[in-house]
Amino acid sequence: MTYRSSLAALMSGIALAAVTAATPAAAQGSPGGTLRLLAKAAAGTIDPHINYTLQYFQINYMLYDGLVTFRKAGDETGFDVVADLAEALPEPENDGRTYTFKLRDGIKFSDGSDLTAADVLASFQRIFKVSGPTAGTFYNGIVGADACIAAPADCTLDGGVVIDEAAGTVTINLTAPDGEFLQKIAIPHAAILPAETPIKDMGTDPVPGSGPYMIESYNPNERLKMVRNPHFEEWSAEAQPAGFPDEIDYDFGLTEEAAVTAIQNGQADWMFDPPPPDRLAEIGTKYADQAFVHPLTAMWYAPMNTNLAPFDDVRVRQAVNYAIDRSAIVKLFGGSSLAQPACQILPPGFPSYEPYCPYTVGEGGSWSAPDMAKARALVEESGTAGQEVTIIAEDNTVSRAIGVYLQDVLTELGYKAKVQAISQNIQFTYIQNTNNNVQISISQWFQDYPSPSNFLQVLFGCASFTPGSDASVNISGFCDEAIDAKMAEAVSLTLSDPEASAALWTEVDRDVTDAAPAAVLFTPKRVDFVSSRVKNFMFSPQFYWIINQSWVE
Amino acid sequence: MAYALAARIGQMALVMFGISIVVFLIFFATPGSDPSARIAGRNASQETLQQVRHDFGLDRPLPVQYGLMMKKLFVTRDLTSFVNRGQQVIPTVTRAIPITLSLVLGAAVLWLAGGLLVGLLAGATRGSWVDRGLMMISLAGVSMPVFWLAEVANLVSQSRFHDTWAFSWVPALGYVPLAEDPLGWFKALVIPWTVLATLYVGLYGRVLRASLIETMQEDFIRTARAKGIGERNVLLRHGLRTSLVAFVTMFGLDFGALVGGGALLTEVVFGLQGVGKLTYDAMQTLDLPMIMATVIYASFFVVMANFIVDVVHMFLDPRVRDAF
Repeated sequence: MTYRSSLAALMSGIALAAVTAATPAAAQGSPGGTLRLLAKAAAGTIDPHINYTLQYFQINYMLYDGLVTFRKAGDETGFDVVADLAEALPEPENDGRTYTFKLRDGIKFSDGSDLTAADVLASFQRIFKVSGPTAGTFYNGIVGADACIAAPADCTLDGGVVIDEAAGTVTINLTAPDGEFLQKIAIPHAAILPAETPIKDMGTDPVPGSGPYMIESYNPNERLKMVRNPHFEEWSAEAQPAGFPDEIDYDFGLTEEAAVTAIQNGQADWMFDPPPPDRLAEIGTKYADQAFVHPLTAMWYAPMNTNLAPFDDVRVRQAVNYAIDRSAIVKLFGGSSLAQPACQILPPGFPSYEPYCPYTVGEGGSWSAPDMAKARALVEESGTAGQEVTIIAEDNTVSRAIGVYLQDVLTELGYKAKVQAISQNIQFTYIQNTNNNVQISISQWFQDYPSPSNFLQVLFGCASFTPGSDASVNISGFCDEAIDAKMAEAVSLTLSDPEASAALWTEVDRDVTDAAPAAVLFTPKRVDFVSSRVKNFMFSPQFYWIINQSWVE
Repeated sequence: MAYALAARIGQMALVMFGISIVVFLIFFATPGSDPSARIAGRNASQETLQQVRHDFGLDRPLPVQYGLMMKKLFVTRDLTSFVNRGQQVIPTVTRAIPITLSLVLGAAVLWLAGGLLVGLLAGATRGSWVDRGLMMISLAGVSMPVFWLAEVANLVSQSRFHDTWAFSWVPALGYVPLAEDPLGWFKALVIPWTVLATLYVGLYGRVLRASLIETMQEDFIRTARAKGIGERNVLLRHGLRTSLVAFVTMFGLDFGALVGGGALLTEVVFGLQGVGKLTYDAMQTLDLPMIMATVIYASFFVVMANFIVDVVHMFLDPRVRDAF
């Protein structure tokens, strides 16, 4: 496959697209029409308290509302939390342990019922009652959450979520200050649903919401159909703007190849999955004004098991970091228009990000070339050469290619390396479990909300490491008490001294990068390919294309 | 006959039981197959993981889990997927059956007609250039992987020549229900039919030719000719009828396998959400309940097809009856 030509084509195309994008939209679009979206497969349950996928988060932001949400904006302000069902963003009280929200009046669910403080309390209880994926990680700081996690069925959150029906206020008390609390309740897992929503995973049954659209029907083998919510009236353009299309159909089952063709033919308007590499050339040239490329706050990385030889020796982990030619890996991913080399944990454009790269030839904040001499010296010093190393990759083209590349690097460093590719649906949980004795693997991490802890603490904190469990997202098993203490301090300073906290996170980023529990490979970009009918493409850094703000012509 | 039928049903139950056990054990013997963590979501706390495991009964002994799954599949009929939670597998499979049937029936008509034509022509003109040409084309048809041929058909009809007069009629990929729009149904399926039938036309044509040539050397054919029957009648009335035994046997088995979901590659490439596509997706995501349902469904059709072939044989050839 010639990446070079497709890359050049895509680059020129994107340059063109940038020029056209600079001209302001000629006219405001008109409401109406149907958008047809495509995805290779459905993404599971449509219960907003349970689904934890990028694919459905993107639509859940339009179907449901939290007390607060992320601003629906097509620039970096899309990372800001704004008031949604609440009239205003609350000021933290009681040293950051209490937040009081005043609900807006007159908001209705799509079934016509009024949204009240009782619904808010029931929704927070429901997060625990249905064992939501983030119940024990994002919402465990609410007073009474411990009891809810231990015995979900009897969850009350007494003293944690206090409501005043008459005044329409909701007060949330935390056991300790949490500077990220508003971000945590801005994601769809804290969506407010009607109090009578059944206490079970709703699966394929639509749940009423308060957003501009509602789900009419869902069949994971065919289609997710969304129509306008008749009870929606816009209350805040930045939190939950009214949408343009009358109907949004999300169809499942076409391969990526077929999806690209369907969009070219105008039979569909957008695809969720990345276009296959062999089609990038035509997308970048012939269809340049229909393609949009955006960097993501995410990373591809190779976690190394710090509790297994040879990677239990920091010198070996650093050697791997020195030896990897990140530009070669970027080429495997599709070229520099689709990814940029990275060697620190935090992605560019993220809070507390300061360019830092110790694993490169020469000085400077960014990666330029591998330093094989240094890598070899470190391996020699560690005396581990000759050991066997198995790389666990995902069973898809890109991941397997990166695996084979890492095999070459490790072989060159003197190890006996081999690659094993595992079905991509199992690989992520397989590499987390210490029982599988995975030495090094290839994985990705996408942010949940824009906070450094969401990378550093989640992936490299002691609390995220549970030996023998499939849910142990600290894949490296990295646990450094000094770094952990520093992270805790950074978290505690978030509210009282945000600047000091941000500086601490920058320091933690450097410390973790130096300790090399993983080799960060690159920051991926997203390619969105839309049909010629789609106008006003807005891209949120938080949840990607803001689907309902585009109109069809 | 009634006894034979009962015996067959007993055998079918045994086969299904065996297959379901094997599928179940293969699933749990796969490293990393435990779906609890995938269901719980990434970065779930250990408590959440335990609750999910308990809710889905994944913390119980394997025989109990097997029993529960079979109970949900056959008795309460409310087995739900591990991947798309809340998706009941039985209605999902039954909704997919018409799509697979449409695809396979249409293709079957094409490949029977095509196979007969190729086999007869080649058999009748044995050794001529017509015979050689047909056999070469058949060989090509048999050799082309169905997913490749399907992708090429898509490339031509959907992409490269989609705007020309020849292919502007081709609708978007996917299925159109027959009851809703018969013409749309036909348009959506005519290319998949052709692609799926290509392999079988080649295969059946070659088989029929071989058995025709063999039959035409039998004594009864000489007798027929001696009686003064025309060559065409000899070929069609006597030769073809006897040669069809192998043809019918093959058809029964192939048809059963395809209706059971064997056309999965064709379904995937053409975006037809039939049983084959369900099986393919479930294999990709290790969705045990869905795999179980599609495999049981498929084994039913394969066993049924075998049975029907045996019955047809029994009528065709009395010697088979004793073996029943």
